Amino acid sequence: MSSQMSTKEKLLYIIDDIELISKEIIENSIAPKHLKLSGPEYAQLTELLVAKNNELNDTLKLASEQAQIDKKMDILKAEVERQDNDINHLQKQLKEAEQILSTAIYQANQKLQSISRANKRPVSSEELIKFAHRISASNAICAPLTWQQGDPRRPYPTDIEMRLGLLGRLMSDPINGHMLQQQNSLSDLHRQGHPGEIPAAQQNQFAWHSSGEMHISVGQGSVPMDTRNHKQETEDVEVMSTDSSSSSSSDSQ
Amino acid sequence: MESDEQNQDLERKVTVENLNIEILPIIYEIIRSVEKDHHDNTAKTRESQDCSQKVLELQKRLDQARAEIRMLPGIDYSKEQQLHHLEALKTQLKLKQELLRKYRYMYTFEIPK
Repeated sequence: MSSQMSTKEKLLYIIDDIELISKEIIENSIAPKHLKLSGPEYAQLTELLVAKNNELNDTLKLASEQAQIDKKMDILKAEVERQDNDINHLQKQLKEAEQILSTAIYQANQKLQSISRANKRPVSSEELIKFAHRISASNAICAPLTWQQGDPRRPYPTDIEMRLGLLGRLMSDPINGHMLQQQNSLSDLHRQGHPGEIPAAQQNQFAWHSSGEMHISVGQGSVPMDTRNHKQETEDVEVMSTDSSSSSSSDSQ
Repeated sequence: MESDEQNQDLERKVTVENLNIEILPIIYEIIRSVEKDHHDNTAKTRESQDCSQKVLELQKRLDQARAEIRMLPGIDYSKEQQLHHLEALKTQLKLKQELLRKYRYMYTFEIPK
């Protein structure tokens, strides 16, 4: 950068010069007579020595001033380091804040999208509640509120309930049991028709029709069977499943 | 600056104040002892012994001065360079303080009413 000599170098050079001059003078003082320097030369040398000594003193004064400045610089350097630490700390916090904000914005965006998706196809709350009723009415989702250990009710249809249903009554009283379920009117009613018939023979009377309903042949006609168990629906229809485990979380997409 | 006071602490910080740089007196003593003309031999031998001792001391003094100068603080640059550095450091400090002030009190979140 700069070709200036540092104060340290200057001082060292002056010391070297003083050493050389003093060596010259001492050698001259012990030299034999014919090698001694002349008077003026000797005086010149001595003057040079004194001048060098003065120069040394001046440079030392300069060095002490520079030491003062150096102290000030140390204080400044400590201040700058403090500022650097603060800047680093602030930078870290800003980065953290940026990350948190970007996450928050992304999530808010997702929410807005889901809101617009929901608004495009609205569903009436009545329908939702109706379906919820139907799903939970069979007690398969959650036990009834008054259920205790030892309660015979089960989340699936028990054998007693099955026997009390259509299939069960068909087995025991084929014509009679069926008549109670009948929905269409028939031309002939076969009451107490064949009470002693073997149950196996009645299997041909069951037939699937194209509409998807199961029909049973009674005499000349066939009657559609209701495959649903209406009895179960009326049970506990007032009680909705309020278990928190069965409700879907609002965050699920 | 040329005082002979020596600091006895283990970690002696060398300042210009406690620098031992008295070279000229020794040189003077050496020359004087050489110039002295003694009549008896014993004084002469003693004198020559003293003289060689003083020469050694001169050398030692010079080396000590050199070592202490190397330890002086703040003289690694010339005065102009040092002042230049000082100014640069001040500017740096000012800039950094400005930067911090700007960001610390910046408020960019306006909540619309």
